[in-house]
Amino acid sequence: MKNIIKREINYPYLTRPVEIYERENGHKIVLAHKDGGLVNISSWVKTGSINENDENNGISHFLEHLMFKGTHKHKAGYFDRTLEAKGAIVNAATWKDYTFYYVTLPQGPDGTYFKEAIELHADMMLDPVIPEDEIGPAFKLGDDKVSQKRERHVVIEEIRMRQDQPWTKIYNSTNKNMYTNHPYKRDVIGFPETIASIPRETILEYYRTHYTPNNITTIIVGDFDHEEIVKKVCKEFDFKGRENYQNPKHALDTPVQEEKYIELKGKINTGFVITGWLGPVARDVKDNIGLEILAIVLGEGQSSRLYQNLIEKAKEPVFNIVTTDFYNFKDGGNFFVEANFKADKKDESISLLKSEINKILNNDLTEKEFLKAKKKLKVRFAEGAETVSDIAENIGYYMTVCDDLDLAESYLQDLENYTLEEVNNTAKKYLKLENSVTTVLLPE
Amino acid sequence: MDKIILDNKIPVIFKINKDTPRYAMCFYFKIEEPEKKAGLYSILNRLFLQGTKNRTAQQLAQELDENAIDCYSEMKQDFIRFKLQCLNEDFEKGLEILSDIIKNSTLDEFDKEVIKLKGEIQAELDEPKSRAMDGFYKNIYKDHPYGHTYTKILEDIDSITKEEVLQVYNELLNNSAKVISVVGDFEPDNLEMMLKKYFADVNNAESAVSKIPTPQLKETSIIKIEKDDASQAQIIQGWQVPTIYDKDYAAIMVMNTMLGSSGLSSRLFLELRDKKGLAYVVRSSYETYDKAAIFNVYIATEPKNIKTSLEGFKIELEKIKKIPITQEELENAKNNLIGKRQFFTETNLQQASLMAFYEDKGLGADFEEKLIKMINQVTTDDITRVANACINDPYVLTILAPAEYLKDI
Repeated sequence: MKNIIKREINYPYLTRPVEIYERENGHKIVLAHKDGGLVNISSWVKTGSINENDENNGISHFLEHLMFKGTHKHKAGYFDRTLEAKGAIVNAATWKDYTFYYVTLPQGPDGTYFKEAIELHADMMLDPVIPEDEIGPAFKLGDDKVSQKRERHVVIEEIRMRQDQPWTKIYNSTNKNMYTNHPYKRDVIGFPETIASIPRETILEYYRTHYTPNNITTIIVGDFDHEEIVKKVCKEFDFKGRENYQNPKHALDTPVQEEKYIELKGKINTGFVITGWLGPVARDVKDNIGLEILAIVLGEGQSSRLYQNLIEKAKEPVFNIVTTDFYNFKDGGNFFVEANFKADKKDESISLLKSEINKILNNDLTEKEFLKAKKKLKVRFAEGAETVSDIAENIGYYMTVCDDLDLAESYLQDLENYTLEEVNNTAKKYLKLENSVTTVLLPE
Repeated sequence: MDKIILDNKIPVIFKINKDTPRYAMCFYFKIEEPEKKAGLYSILNRLFLQGTKNRTAQQLAQELDENAIDCYSEMKQDFIRFKLQCLNEDFEKGLEILSDIIKNSTLDEFDKEVIKLKGEIQAELDEPKSRAMDGFYKNIYKDHPYGHTYTKILEDIDSITKEEVLQVYNELLNNSAKVISVVGDFEPDNLEMMLKKYFADVNNAESAVSKIPTPQLKETSIIKIEKDDASQAQIIQGWQVPTIYDKDYAAIMVMNTMLGSSGLSSRLFLELRDKKGLAYVVRSSYETYDKAAIFNVYIATEPKNIKTSLEGFKIELEKIKKIPITQEELENAKNNLIGKRQFFTETNLQQASLMAFYEDKGLGADFEEKLIKMINQVTTDDITRVANACINDPYVLTILAPAEYLKDI
């Protein structure tokens, strides 16, 4: 094929190299082989809350919902009905750096389901109508007389659902307070007020700006003829000369310089706490491995430090749950320590969590813990290659957040070369207590 | 798929999937004795990872994590199952640890596990959805072990003794029916040798029969749970329906798919979410245990929409009972159901788990193939018939919401 640059990447635990095709217009197509009758088709768009501001916060996610509301060729419902009638799982997700749409389905007789799914998926990605009657009229929040309750209300219900989840509540509070300027400070789902009132034209404009060839990567995983499928994808993804858009570069945020503490109340019976730190940019392989190791050593599984020291060896019960999380983002990840504790043990809980962090900051990590975490990370990679959907999601992450698959190819080697000393330095670089934000949720 | 029977009569179902980096194994222990106090089996289940005669809890956790061996037990209504997953080269190590856990657990950490379990339950009940589900299951299976939910466990747990858990453990180890399944890239002879090495002395009471009684829902009940700061009402309405052993199993599965579990194109999704904007999550589900099964519908919605949502449920449930469905909708639902089954049996662990699940139920590890044939045979009349048979009084309706919205329900 003319004007397509093809590269191969040796992706760990896959039986054949992954192929990356870059078209002249910048649209990328990634093909990966996995035995079996299932295939996964997805397109990843480089937009999410990273491209939002106070006025349009939530628009990336709202648009994701509205992409399912029909094209000029097919009315709303046709896509879901046709594909689900072939055993497909269809859905989409929006996060800080990306929005992605996927179909997982059996290939069908002679691959007919598969080909039809590519056609419908491309049609949805390139030609959404976003009809006014599917969005529903703009309304004032709390107005009980709204008759046409459509997708605006569905998204507002999704926001309500999250308001009722204690972990989501404290995560949002900590996330917001960890940043000063970067758009990552906003909750991806946005606010009911914005969703109730944002005009259709603003949404369409956002679509036209961000859903451009250079911002989209289409990934196909399964057992198929690569040449045939790359031709098919090129044919169906006809951008008709759509202009490209370069995402603006945001200045990286600096962490808080003094410990920040927020306390919330709710009608609950136990206490929830989350402490968060800003982490390295996604392409900083070494520091990311360091924090992945620290997340495992501190809070993953029953052998972890937090579980052993704060639950197993506790003289009297203070904590019900203690765990860690580490998210990678393009402009800097997040490291979290999360816990649920007995409602009357707030001060003790916070001081115990801090003392565990302090130990880590004082080179307390053992060689044994370090090796355990390395092995777990290796197995996690193997695990991520077990289903067509997991493979697609991992490739999508690398292509969108890290801009390329090169880091996946070298990951196991980078992990192998990583030293205990480097982990200790990474801890000191990112996890200082003065750079942390803590939110606590307590019973009223 | 193949089957061997070990000398101790434990059936081993296995399947070879070439070029897969991880082995997956399931070991099922059927629960024969109904739980006398809520939480007995849950505590036992937790204690399986809390120390053996050879390893302390901490050593066990460390050894598993250092080798990245995923080994845990799960307690369900009719069985306790162990799942083991690890890189191929670590399989024998995994087997050795699993056999130690199964045969030599000490239950020494009983007191601590009771405290931990209570704490975790309290944390879980702070999630409104968990609280509502708890109220639903506790009442639809009232006075029955299937209704031993979180809040029931909190009621009973302090009266449970270590001796009682030990008794249940011995019963399970010696007098229950067992099934093993393994999926991965291995040589069958080698697998058999290893399983014999570690499990030859585990007794299989293959003819043991479950003494769990058949629950019966006698009257309709409406359970109201107050939560004054809830942004959404949680609504679940459900019925006791025929189980996996019934001739209508496939027909109920298809009806469930059509009504509310096909994804974005089910009737409830289209009518209550897409057209009325009532919810983000609305669905139906069908869950079968050995002695009973439930069909239920669920929605989470703004509290002032409670009545509209219940009305919406009623309209859709009446529709499927009264208005004949089209052949096209039936075929779509069947294809959805059959196609998606591939998705749920993609990994070695999913395959091992499903094979053992069917074998444990006495349906044969290859029941999946029979089930697909049964699904294909379902007719439009079957759907109308099962809808009329299943969706009738009595039922249990659970609503969690702020008190002011519960007054007139």
